Amino acid sequence: MQSEPLVLSKREKRKLAGEYPDLCLTCGTCAGGCPVTGVDGMDMRKAVRMALLGLDQELIDSRFPWICTLCARCEHGCPMSIDLLKMMRSARTHRERDKVPGVLHKGVVQCLKSGNNVGIPKEDYLFLLEDLGVELAEELPGFRVPVDDKGARILVTINSKEPFAEPEDMFFWWKIFYAAKESWTTTSENWEGVNWGLFTGDDESMKEVVRRIVEHYKSLECEYLLLPE
Amino acid sequence: MSVHDLLKEYIETGRIKLDKSKHPELTTYHDPCNYGRKSERTFGHGYYEEPRWIVQQCVENFVDTYPTKVNNYCCGAGGGAWAMPYAEERIYYGRVKVKQIKDTGAEMLIAPCHNCRDQIMKSLRQEYDMMDLEVKYLWELVADSLVIEGVDE
Ligand code: SF4
Ligand code: SF4
Repeated sequence: MQSEPLVLSKREKRKLAGEYPDLCLTCGTCAGGCPVTGVDGMDMRKAVRMALLGLDQELIDSRFPWICTLCARCEHGCPMSIDLLKMMRSARTHRERDKVPGVLHKGVVQCLKSGNNVGIPKEDYLFLLEDLGVELAEELPGFRVPVDDKGARILVTINSKEPFAEPEDMFFWWKIFYAAKESWTTTSENWEGVNWGLFTGDDESMKEVVRRIVEHYKSLECEYLLLPE
Repeated sequence: MSVHDLLKEYIETGRIKLDKSKHPELTTYHDPCNYGRKSERTFGHGYYEEPRWIVQQCVENFVDTYPTKVNNYCCGAGGGAWAMPYAEERIYYGRVKVKQIKDTGAEMLIAPCHNCRDQIMKSLRQEYDMMDLEVKYLWELVADSLVIEGVDE
């Protein structure tokens, strides 16, 4: 006689246990290979248990999903191939936005507003690029920084940290492009290459930032997109 | 397009010329989680070999870390940790990476990621007494190895 299988988890009711943590063998492989196992008395195996036991809110409120660097070593080692990172990231998603640690969420809001995580105004940015371009041209005759060049082969995004704090680090790529006689361009707006929505678990903002880059890519008719992160 | 594919293309097709003798020091490489494990899981290809090959076009002496590639350890600043207030935990996390680097005996470390480079160069070096270690981006190493026609020749 066929009987109903035992129900091990009611997946649909769980917020965080969406990607099969009910397969967990509790072997501890995940926790064993993680450099922050034990911090706050937490580890990945416990996090999985919490999600399965319905302690979602406790996990969301804990520091663990943020101290975990989402490095995926646990996930790689997991014999059941459970999507541990998806679980961690969704725990971040469920954190109230004003309780996202540090400047991450502020950066996301700033990026949606100004086109980069640190709010550099367009004029300042263009001035800086031109200034740096002139400086580099002293070493590399004829060098200039292409901005919004239609039909360039490669569209390049910029990590806002560089124009903000370490502008001369942009020279590395510029020199390589110069040497390779590459046809490339950056953009005057929405040039940010660091998508913090990825880290805050904010899919909507993340997609919007990507959408803006793709829009440039299409309108400038570039062949490749380079995000040197 | 990945930075690795582009740099490899430039080198292989001869679009850029590099001079290894500019970097005789023993050099190792850090695998960022995003180009390794996460790329492997998401796109079916982890960038382990390409960056090692690129580095070896720029340096004379290369040494790998242990463990390496897919089993390598995170620098400790992934997931946005650099922009979070948990500095103590971030530095504690990095101790494993530090041991790996010290065990290689390398004088220079190459990282193809802003985040990993900042964590190792601006934080772990100071915290774990490694100030002698030089840290460069992969593209910085390439830029520093360039021989540019009409400029250097
Ligand atoms: S992803 Fe998080 S829990 Fe897993 S090994 Fe890395 S830091 Fe540890
Ligand atoms: S490695 Fe996988 S199966 Fe083992 S305890 Fe961790 S989540 Fe469970």
